[in-house]
Amino acid sequence: MAKDQHIRATPAEGGDRIATAHFVAGAAFLVLGGFAETLALLSIRFDGMFPISYGRLEPMANLTLMIGFGVLSLLGGIYYTLPRLTGTRLWRPELAGVGLVAIATLVLAGLAAIALGLGDGRTPLSLPWWLDLPMLGALAVPFLVTTGSILRREEPRMFVTLWFVLGGVTWLPLLYLAHFTGDLPFVSSVTVAYADVFLMAGFVTMFLLTVGTGLAYFSVARELDVPLASRQLALVGFWSLGIAAGWWGVAQLVFGPGPTWLAGVAAALGLAFPIGALVNAANVSLSLEGSWARLGERPGVLAGITGLYLGAGVALLAAFAGFRSVASVVALTGFWEAIEYAFLAGVGPLLVAASAFSAVPRVTGRRLHTPARARSFVRLTLVGVIGVVVTMGGAGLLTGYAWIGGSNSAAFIDAGEGWARSSTGSVEALWLVAIGFAVVTLFGHLAYASAVLGTMTRGEATTQEILVTVGASDE
Amino acid sequence: MSELLEKASAALGVPEALTKRSAEARAAETGADVDEVLAGWAGDAPPPEAAAPPSEPEEAEPEEPAAETPAEPDAAEPEPAAAPAATPEVVVEVPQPEPVPAGGAPAFAAAARPPVLVGVRDDPVPVLAGVVGLFLIVVLVGLVGPALPFDPPGARSSEIPTSGLAQEGKEIYSTLGCSFCHTQMVRPVVADVGLGAVTLQDTNQVLGLRRFGPDLSDVGSRMTSTQIEAVIGGLGGHPPHSLAAEDLQALTAYLSESQTSPDEPAPADQDTSAVSGEESDA
Repeated sequence: MAKDQHIRATPAEGGDRIATAHFVAGAAFLVLGGFAETLALLSIRFDGMFPISYGRLEPMANLTLMIGFGVLSLLGGIYYTLPRLTGTRLWRPELAGVGLVAIATLVLAGLAAIALGLGDGRTPLSLPWWLDLPMLGALAVPFLVTTGSILRREEPRMFVTLWFVLGGVTWLPLLYLAHFTGDLPFVSSVTVAYADVFLMAGFVTMFLLTVGTGLAYFSVARELDVPLASRQLALVGFWSLGIAAGWWGVAQLVFGPGPTWLAGVAAALGLAFPIGALVNAANVSLSLEGSWARLGERPGVLAGITGLYLGAGVALLAAFAGFRSVASVVALTGFWEAIEYAFLAGVGPLLVAASAFSAVPRVTGRRLHTPARARSFVRLTLVGVIGVVVTMGGAGLLTGYAWIGGSNSAAFIDAGEGWARSSTGSVEALWLVAIGFAVVTLFGHLAYASAVLGTMTRGEATTQEILVTVGASDE
Repeated sequence: MSELLEKASAALGVPEALTKRSAEARAAETGADVDEVLAGWAGDAPPPEAAAPPSEPEEAEPEEPAAETPAEPDAAEPEPAAAPAATPEVVVEVPQPEPVPAGGAPAFAAAARPPVLVGVRDDPVPVLAGVVGLFLIVVLVGLVGPALPFDPPGARSSEIPTSGLAQEGKEIYSTLGCSFCHTQMVRPVVADVGLGAVTLQDTNQVLGLRRFGPDLSDVGSRMTSTQIEAVIGGLGGHPPHSLAAEDLQALTAYLSESQTSPDEPAPADQDTSAVSGEESDA
């Protein structure tokens, strides 16, 4: 409990209030999404265990983690950061509030629609067109609020975070619009498939990593009072992440019914993904030069740097899986499921925490409750996600080799099934271990939500940050 | 008090409401009277003793540009700036009653001076234009390019003619989320040998991205309607789906008509236990 109950923190106003609301809603959706994702993995291993199958649980988990948690939480970070970098108040905070309510409502409606069998079956979200359209409108709101704030800025100099934020909020509705083209009745099945992978890849590189990295740059500089090591490196990382979106989605469909030139051209572009992620991680590392010892007392910075390196590692795996020789083994397997899981359940939450653990205490005037819990979140999430990537990725590799050994044909004709049969037990065992690690990650998600909500309700009183107008005689 | 408040506010250069809140917090912490605190801040009297050196409310210093290029390890100081920007909005740290630990710095002492967060003069409009331009390139490479038809005229087609009932079944196939576990895409790789003819760009099937269950492009050539119905109902480890009779009929029709090797002899309508290994590929 706060030591001095009679001293009340000033309620956050305007943009800060909206930012806090986004963080709270995002934390709730993270727990829900982590739970749904664990159920989805369980439903693969134990068929028929749940009344709804993996085909519905997975898009429900994706919807909750991508839009419910990822978008809302990163918007919280954006709305907190914008006034502090632009020297002006958030433009139309009430519009941002409407956007929050609209997105949260649409996510909940989407979950109900998918559970009831009204989804359209398209990866990753499976939202029917009558929810896709309003969602597109709701995702355009952050673009309006952000560009409105930036264009009205009083500070003429732009810290690199503004580049990442501006890019992310611009790309998000465009990505959704591109995905929506797959709902049009005249497009081919192949176009639908490419639109589906385009959304997932684009969301991760052009929004989740882009905005998360930009906010991490802000948090590191702010928390530790250190200057950014290199603006040029940051911009290289920014554009590389954007370019990467064109490939690693397509990489999942190598050898599929697309043009043959795609594999060669896009494999080269795919290298932009790990390059972009590594450049950003290295830039933050250079910025932390001389401050590494302080990471223990700054869980937000610890989460940010962990998320950046985890993202770089998983990006390397994604680029690796895009080469033709590797794709012939791992495409369509759990290997790619592991990569998506790592970004949505690991990298995303860690980058969000970099912003949330810095912003929420400042806005609410309460200490982080508790730093130990925040560090537990980082540890559990890292261990859980790495465990899932190793085991589920390993299961994917085994499955791919089993197909090459003849298990696909063995299901229907008697050919080359020996190697496939011997690998089945290993694959199932690896899936079981992966589920165990997913539970570890879920505990990490619970620790995050507990830290954010605990800070607001039980954190000890401390310095509060309030935006005021210079020269005003009073508020 | 109002006069004191006015003076203290003027002395500190922050709004009266904030000064008042800060004074109340300081008074609560030190056990002193609010007026004494205000008087101290206004310069009329020494400030009351506190557990730590008082950290008075202060404006953020005008922002200065930071050294964003690689800085020397010990040269974190910002480079000399052009004239500070006229920023009507600033961040104010309002002291709360938490005493500062002896010898320690206030938790967010550094936050009141944000020079490290300043970049160079930049126009966001070109950035926005670049962002949109890059997106268009990415769409061309990642979406439009792959989706363009490229089959030469007269090439073999993988489009499968389907009945009206099968079309309804395709909708059910989608809403059930079958494509999250099943592909309808046979690739020209060793791993897909035995799954049917290679899927071409003109396919009308639901491709899917994961193969936790078997590929279904040619399932109609391998299984009878009865077998397909049995699997949908839960045979062979498949998650059981409780569908209305007409929906089950439509879905079965869709899968039965999914044949990429129609010249193969149709499977005999045999006992459903023959398909119990169907789902073992996950």
